[in-house]
Amino acid sequence: MSDSSLQHPIKAEALKRSFGKIEAVSGIDLAIAQGEIFGFLGPNGAGKSTTVRMLTTLLLPSAGRAWVAGHDVVSDADRVRRSIGVALQDAAIDPLMTGRELIKLQATLHGISKAEAKAKGDALLERVGLTAAADRRVGTYSGGMRRRLDLALSLIHEPKVLFLDEPTTGLDPNSRQAIWDEVRTLNHEGTTVFLTTQYMEEADQLAGRIAIIDNGLIVAEGTPASLKAKVGDPTLQVALDPSADELAAETVLLRFGESVPSAVGSVASRLPGGAEQVTEVVRALDEAGIKVVGLELHNPTLDDVFHQVTGRRLEGAAAGASVGEEAEAPA
Amino acid sequence: MSSVAAHYALLSKRSLVNTIRQPIAIIPSLMFPLIFLALNSAALAESINLPGFPAVDSFLQFMIATTIIQGGLFGSIAAGADMATDIEGGFFDRLIATPVSRTSILVGRVAGAFTLAFFQAFLFFGIAMLFGLTVDGGFLGMLGVALISATAGAGFASFSVAIGIKSGSAEVVQGSFPLIFTLMFLSSAFFPRTLMSGWFQDAATINPLSHMIESARSLVISGWDVAEFLYGLSIAAGLLVIGIVISLLALRARLADKA
Repeated sequence: MSDSSLQHPIKAEALKRSFGKIEAVSGIDLAIAQGEIFGFLGPNGAGKSTTVRMLTTLLLPSAGRAWVAGHDVVSDADRVRRSIGVALQDAAIDPLMTGRELIKLQATLHGISKAEAKAKGDALLERVGLTAAADRRVGTYSGGMRRRLDLALSLIHEPKVLFLDEPTTGLDPNSRQAIWDEVRTLNHEGTTVFLTTQYMEEADQLAGRIAIIDNGLIVAEGTPASLKAKVGDPTLQVALDPSADELAAETVLLRFGESVPSAVGSVASRLPGGAEQVTEVVRALDEAGIKVVGLELHNPTLDDVFHQVTGRRLEGAAAGASVGEEAEAPA
Repeated sequence: MSSVAAHYALLSKRSLVNTIRQPIAIIPSLMFPLIFLALNSAALAESINLPGFPAVDSFLQFMIATTIIQGGLFGSIAAGADMATDIEGGFFDRLIATPVSRTSILVGRVAGAFTLAFFQAFLFFGIAMLFGLTVDGGFLGMLGVALISATAGAGFASFSVAIGIKSGSAEVVQGSFPLIFTLMFLSSAFFPRTLMSGWFQDAATINPLSHMIESARSLVISGWDVAEFLYGLSIAAGLLVIGIVISLLALRARLADKA
C-alpha cells in the first residue's frame, strides 16, 4: 500500500493486458481522487471493459500495477472485493430469482447478517424504485429495471468505490435518466465512481473528469469543459435568405471569429464568445442589411474531442453531435 | 468459517430453487426413469422366473433401485448445465466479484443435486408403492437407497459441473446425456449380472454403476444390511470425491486468469 494509493481510491500504473498477441490495454495510468465521478469514454473494443475487469479483480493484468481502495488488485484481491461495488456491462442477473432473493444472496456473499440484509435490502429496493417488483422474477423485468436492480445489488455492502461498466447501454432515455440521478446522489454521499461509457453525453453529464480511451491507450484526459475547450471555440452557422449576399455576410462574421467552411446558402465562423455573442452577430448582420433565416450555435462536444485525437467519430455520436447548449442541459 | 458455511448453504439453496423453477428441466429426470420402469416391468415381468434370477416379488421390485439412481443421475446433468449457464450469462462473474468462498460455487451446485436426488428417491418409492411395491429393507432400506442414489447423483453432478466449468457451455454439458445412458445399459441396471455372458458381463462387472445399483437393490429385495449399504455408498462416495477433485481443478483453471 503506497501513500498515493490511500489518497486515490483508484490508481493504476502502466497497466497492461494482452490476450494472446492482441494487446487490449497497452499501458494506462490512472489516479482517481476520493469523491470523483471518473468517466472512461471510448468506442466498443477500446479496452474499457478489460480495464474495469482488471480493476475489479476479474482479470489479471499482464503487466503494471493497480490499487483499488488502497489494496493491490492482484496480491490483495479479496480486500479489493470487499471494498468495491461492481455493476458489470450485461447486468448478469439470474432470471429465475426474484429481486429480493438476489439482494439477500448478494448480502450473504458480503457477510451481512440476515436482519441487516433485510433492512438494507428493503431500503435499496425502495431507493431504486423496485419495491413493487421485488417479489417478481427478474426474468419479467425490463432492461431499465434490471440495471436498477444491478445498481442496488452493487450497493448492498455500502462500498466506497463503485464501478459501473456501461450502466445505461441499450436503455431508453427515461431509464437512463433514472440511473444518472442515482449515480449523482451516490456521488454526493461520498462514493467514488468509475464509469465506463460509449456515450459521450453520459460522460459529459455525469463525470467530473474524463479519460478517452482508444485502442488500449488513454488519448485525452481532463474535465469535459477543458477537453472541449481544447477543440476550440463554438461555431455559429448562419442560414441566409436566397436574396442575401453571401460574401457580405462572411465579411460581417469575420469580425467575430475565424471562418469555417459551410454549406451553400449559409456561412459559418468560430464564435469565441459563445451564446452571449449571438445577439451581437445578429445585430451586425441586420445593420449590414443581410436577411437571415436560421441560426445554429454548435458547441464542441466530446465527440469532437474524440475526433480531434483519433480522427474518428464515436459510435452513436451522430445523433448528439450537433446538439447545442440548450439541448445538453440537464432535463 | 461461519461465512463460508453460509455461502455453502446459500448457493445450495439457490441451486435447488434454480432447478425447481424450471419444471421443464426436471421432467427428464422424473419422467424418463418412470417410463423405463413401466415399460420394463411390463415387458420383462416373466423374466423373474428365469433360473438364476434373484428372488424378487416382481420386476418392479427388482428395478426400483435402478429407477431411483437413474433419476439421480439424470438430475445431475442440470447441475452442470446450470453452472455453465451461470458462466455464459455472467452470473459467475457477479459471484466471484464478491468475497464469496470460491469452492462454495461448485459445492453449492453439487449439494443441490444431492438434496434433489434424496427427495426424488422417496417420490419414486411412493409412486412404485401405489403399484404394489414392497421394500424388504423397510424404511431403513429406503433411506439407504436414497442416500446411495443422492451420493451417486452428487458424484455425477460434480463431473457434470466440471464439464460445465471447463466448457462454459450448457449444450456441451447436455451432450453428456447419452454417456449416462450408455453407462446404464452397460450395467446390471435392467438385468442381473448372473444372467449375462461374455464381454457384456465383463463390462457390467467393471462398471461401478452395477455395484451401486446392486447394493441399493439388495436393500429393497433382501432387506436391510449395513455391509451392503456401506459397499454401495462407498463406491458412490468414491465417485463423488474424484468428481469434486476434477471440478476443483476445472474451477482453478477457470480462475487462473483472475486475481
